[in-house]
Amino acid sequence: MNALRALLRKELASLFGSPTAYLTLMLVALVTALIFFDHLRLYNQILFVYASSNMGGFDTDTIPDYVNLWDTVFFPVMETLGLTLIGAVPLLTMRAFAEERARGTDELLVTTSLSPGQIVVAKFAVAFLFVTAMMAVSFVYPASAIERGGLGAEHLAAVFLGLTLHGIGVASIGLACSAFTSSQLVAAVSGWAVAFVLWDFSWLQPFVGESAARTLELLSLHPRYGSFSEGIVALDNVAYFGALALVSMALARFSFDLRRVGS
Amino acid sequence: MRELAWIGCVAILFGLLSFYATDHLGVFGAVNLAGGGLALVLALAIAARLMRRVAGPHARGVIARGLLGIAVALGLGVACERAAHWSELRTDWTFERRYELSPALAELLHEVPGLRILHFYDPADPRVRRTKLLIDELVRASGAQSVAYDVQSVPDEAERYGVNSSNTIVLQLGDDYEVVERPLEGAIYEAVYRLRKVKSGVIGLLRGEGEGDPERETAQGFGGLAAALATEGYELRSLVTLSLREVPAEIDAILAISPQRQIGERAEDALRRFLARGGALIALLEPGVDSGLETLLGEWGISAPDELVIDPAAGEGLGHEPEGVCPLAYNYETHAITRGLDRNRMTFFCGVRPFDLRKPEVDDELTAVVLSSPRAWRTSDRSRLTRPAPEPEGVERGYQAIAASGRYRRDGVETRIFAVGDSDFASNRYLRSLYNLDLIMNGVHWALARDPQIALRPKIRDTVQFPLPVQNSLELLYGVGLLVPELLLLAGGTLWLRQRAA
Repeated sequence: MNALRALLRKELASLFGSPTAYLTLMLVALVTALIFFDHLRLYNQILFVYASSNMGGFDTDTIPDYVNLWDTVFFPVMETLGLTLIGAVPLLTMRAFAEERARGTDELLVTTSLSPGQIVVAKFAVAFLFVTAMMAVSFVYPASAIERGGLGAEHLAAVFLGLTLHGIGVASIGLACSAFTSSQLVAAVSGWAVAFVLWDFSWLQPFVGESAARTLELLSLHPRYGSFSEGIVALDNVAYFGALALVSMALARFSFDLRRVGS
Repeated sequence: MRELAWIGCVAILFGLLSFYATDHLGVFGAVNLAGGGLALVLALAIAARLMRRVAGPHARGVIARGLLGIAVALGLGVACERAAHWSELRTDWTFERRYELSPALAELLHEVPGLRILHFYDPADPRVRRTKLLIDELVRASGAQSVAYDVQSVPDEAERYGVNSSNTIVLQLGDDYEVVERPLEGAIYEAVYRLRKVKSGVIGLLRGEGEGDPERETAQGFGGLAAALATEGYELRSLVTLSLREVPAEIDAILAISPQRQIGERAEDALRRFLARGGALIALLEPGVDSGLETLLGEWGISAPDELVIDPAAGEGLGHEPEGVCPLAYNYETHAITRGLDRNRMTFFCGVRPFDLRKPEVDDELTAVVLSSPRAWRTSDRSRLTRPAPEPEGVERGYQAIAASGRYRRDGVETRIFAVGDSDFASNRYLRSLYNLDLIMNGVHWALARDPQIALRPKIRDTVQFPLPVQNSLELLYGVGLLVPELLLLAGGTLWLRQRAA
């Protein structure tokens, strides 16, 4: 247990002791704030065009129902940030195992009292913590803007919970890919490829039957985290991301077995 | 093997990127995906062969255990996800809890067994996601059957129901159906109500003395109220006061929307006889008018002095009326009419006449159902409705009755009266504001002794169409939105400088 704690501390120190972590957090918070503000501005602009006196004002039904905070702000922001996370997170996780493997320090880790499973848990936990921190700092501005508008930040919290889980899912994929290679570049590219394959299986729909399409949809990242943008926190969607993390951990653990048998 | 895997990953990545960028699988995307998939399969096959050649029995055991671990993790993950799916556990974090059906709709759905919900949608329409979620809730609450159609692929079905846009739902009960083009809970509630075809009663509408017009659809009209009454099963019949000798026997209640002139003695007498034989009256008054209804109400213990309620707690009106003349009421007496209304469920009035209540007989039940804030006061200066004026000294403050109800049992019959000191609150302009619709509809249901129909109706408008002023968002962007990244950059930079110095 002490060794696991020491490993966790080491991983955290190496992550938060590096300026890169702060730079990443800063960039994500800044990009989120700018994207969110831009969508909010656009939403208000459209709303005021429809609400202008010659269109009938707010009291009439002239404002189309697609002009609303969900479709004009929350959903597009979530889409953009979701794709941004797919792009950024594998870059953060590519080092986790691949670098240790390239330097040979993974052999040293295995010789400590730590089991491969514990090593995997520690690496995954730190990555998840970083993704959560990233989404937490990004949440501050959008939440203040919505709260100030008097709408309460609960719905937005659901959006960011979805994004955090999506980030954790992508981090799991990235870490699993990193565990199978000693090249950071290969880890990042394979992380992107797997995440994009899992993102949305709609490209396969023309080639498969309806029931297969429905099953593939269940496996997709996009509809899972997309439902959070509706303000619905469903246990099956949370469980999906948990399952993704669990399977990725098992795969990363398997990479240690492969190393052991020398293949 | 590694090269093949690398080629496979890159090809799949670019194939998918091209698909997401163009939204269709062109030659470039298809070739990349097929080639990438093939390369990965080949790489895996080579890896498997290598493994078989290299690995001894012990190694095979280790690998088998590892693969078993993956299979167990996969099985556990799938089982957890499926169990969570079947548990149907989910919470609604939306602003107005839009996916939790209101008790009124949930109750109504139980009264329409055999309901079918047909959803016509365009797959690219973003609104479809939330309509599907709402339909799931409806199905869960009612056991209704639901069918979804891609609107493009079933033109005949769409034409049959007159559907011409995506995200339209059709509620079908037997041979009857209702088309809901903006499927929000409120609109669905009204459509189900219409399908039920319940006859709630006949309401006589006083006409001819400048009353509010139930056929007018402009902001000042009362077309919205007439539609809401029709939806909930009331038949409206016009009663012209000038020719009113006797209220017809089939009329259950009289609705008077602020007559602007005297209704005349004969009409007054007819109403008097109607009330004496157990009829119901819903009277919406306005300050500064003496129509004769005030006298009639006075006889039943609801006197309406010709004054105006000024409530400083209200602030300015929505149409920039002077401060205090448009009370925002949140004080309700416990009464069937105000069931479900509380301090957070406000009603909005503009230019209100107060009531004083005095029981004509000891067994009568008189209630001031809606009250102003305790800071309110009365004035007979009606110019305050349009012109701001300073508050006079020594005004007597206190709760003012904005709406009142009376229940009288005489000679074996029961008479019910619901009176409101304002009619604008039920006009098209304000009917859907806050809980105004609920107050007037519940007042009507109560007056006609249809208490089970009293409920808080789901809203047909979306709160998410409220504007969020850009200026506020901009101030926050400079204040909070840029401050957080700045602090993070400062922390990162300081750390880097310290590491360099060390």
